[in-house]
Amino acid sequence: MELDSIPQPELDQIERIGGADLVVGILGTESAGDGCGAVAFTRQFLAELPTPLRAMVVCNNGTHSPAAAAADVAGDKASPTVFTCALPPSAPGETPQQGISNAYRTVFVVGGKLGVRACGVIASRSQIATSRWISSLVHPVLDLGFDLVAPCYTRQKLEGLLNRSVLAPLHRALYGQQLQNPMGPDFGLSGKLIHRMLAEDASRRRGVPRDPLASIASVAACGGFQVCESNLGIRTQRPTDWENLSSLLAEVLGAAFLEMEGRAAHWQSIRGSQTLPRFGQPEALSPDPGTTMDVHGMLESFRLGAKNLQDVWGLILPPTTLLELRRLSRLPENQFRLPDQLWVRIVYDFALGHRLQTLNRDHLLRSITPLYLGWIASHVLETQADGLVEAESRIERLSKAYEDNKSYLVSRWRWPDRFNP
Amino acid sequence: MWDQVGQALRLSMTKMLSQIASLLPGAVALLTALIFSVGIAWVLAAILRRSLASIDFDRRVAHWGFPRLAEWSPSSSPTLLVTRAIVWIVVLIGFLIGISAFDGALPTQFVIRLFAYLPDVLTAIVVLVAGSIIARFLARSVLIGAVNMNLQYARLLSVGVKWLVTVLAVTIALERLGIGGGIIRLAFGILFGGIVLALALAVGLGSKELVSRSLERETRKTSESNMKEPVGHL
Repeated sequence: MELDSIPQPELDQIERIGGADLVVGILGTESAGDGCGAVAFTRQFLAELPTPLRAMVVCNNGTHSPAAAAADVAGDKASPTVFTCALPPSAPGETPQQGISNAYRTVFVVGGKLGVRACGVIASRSQIATSRWISSLVHPVLDLGFDLVAPCYTRQKLEGLLNRSVLAPLHRALYGQQLQNPMGPDFGLSGKLIHRMLAEDASRRRGVPRDPLASIASVAACGGFQVCESNLGIRTQRPTDWENLSSLLAEVLGAAFLEMEGRAAHWQSIRGSQTLPRFGQPEALSPDPGTTMDVHGMLESFRLGAKNLQDVWGLILPPTTLLELRRLSRLPENQFRLPDQLWVRIVYDFALGHRLQTLNRDHLLRSITPLYLGWIASHVLETQADGLVEAESRIERLSKAYEDNKSYLVSRWRWPDRFNP
Repeated sequence: MWDQVGQALRLSMTKMLSQIASLLPGAVALLTALIFSVGIAWVLAAILRRSLASIDFDRRVAHWGFPRLAEWSPSSSPTLLVTRAIVWIVVLIGFLIGISAFDGALPTQFVIRLFAYLPDVLTAIVVLVAGSIIARFLARSVLIGAVNMNLQYARLLSVGVKWLVTVLAVTIALERLGIGGGIIRLAFGILFGGIVLALALAVGLGSKELVSRSLERETRKTSESNMKEPVGHL
């Protein structure tokens, strides 16, 4: 991880500061807030602590100015000291996900350089983030000795579907930890975990760079770090960009599969999963506005994929899965259901295909889009009459299916040619 | 008179026999070169077959995007196809060496011209292989992209792009080999133009639904801008 992205005056400032107790990263690029807001709610959080702490706030909200980082020191000696450092705007052509990953790297480097005890990063749209979010992410690290605080959001039943259908259950099956959001994007980390992240990054400097967002939870799980979750409340979602869904899938799943490949030796021996300590009260959710989803377009995409992408899927999926997909594509809309086991095996086979590079990785990751849309359609049809609790229990069943089919993944991972149902 | 006839016959027979005798060393050399080349080809084929089997060449070829290569190969094995190609190339080289041993002006010139032609043949082969790889890669990219954009004519677009690149590669290869001349250029122009026109028509006609869908979505976006998006991915 490099300090290149930090302007020189601010680097000098970091050198002069020498050390700090806490680094806070405010990385929401589309935030309406500014550096002053971030400093204000960090100061508010620090004021609530029994002992005054020195904190550095790293902002990634386009507020960078050529002036050196400023120290916002209150007159009172017992008051906390807050330094600020603004990152330059994202490079042109950088996706939001890449921008956040790069900013995460910088926050880790700053934290490592200052030798902080804790780090809180808020990458969600920061107008909704408050000092309570910082507190929820950093308190368990400072007071209870946890190394990683993962976020737990209050969500409507159709929010975070990629997370619910792939990322969270995959993390649970692989590493045995039931996290609602293994890829954050808001996290609290200990200084120890930051140092491990920096060390791992330095050790694979010559290899393919990994996405820190995809690495944090798996590094913590594999390194025996203490992990917990914190209820943060409602998170405003970016509007779904259906036109670029395949790019999003390629970016997110590519990072997750790469991480999975790098830690294969660790996760192959893990069976089952455990719940983790969760702090804070879940925010009450206003009733679902009752928006109904039209799944017709998604099913059309799935059918079009089943008709045209058989050659591509044939390089990744075993014949039984292809047969099943062909059968599903002929079903009428009201009968369309993608069984959990089939979906889980599809995800596992794509992860294996990504590892074996059975075809170009970008092609492989983009070709999952019609299947993912098929899963969404099936999930919407299945849960349209359900409330939040029933929808959550449906996701729990899917997560169990991931765990139950882990032996399939392990067998195919170890003997991809011999074990081909 | 009969003496003269007998003498003429003897002379022609001697001439014929001496000519045949002068060809014999060349023929023996040709035969020897052929036997040697067959032996070398056989050894090379055995080594190559083992090496390719050890790197699982057949599976790799399928993974590189050439599953059809197996269909063209003897016993559906690209390894066999490659080894047989190498065998025939070595035998051909042996044959050419043998031919040049005749030391006749015509065969020697033929061999020199053939060897001078070899770089062009190799360039043409490289162009064809590279064209085939690029065509498959682009065809797959277009197919996946078009399916993800929900275009009903995704397959047609993909096949069109594949043929465009293939036709281009074949034309360059033929031009390099000096085959066809102007006819090839004319044929290429007609084929390339035809494919582009067909694709343009297909995309133009098929895009009606895409444009209307996109406009519909824009209208919905502005009229329902305050409505909460029910689906989120991350």
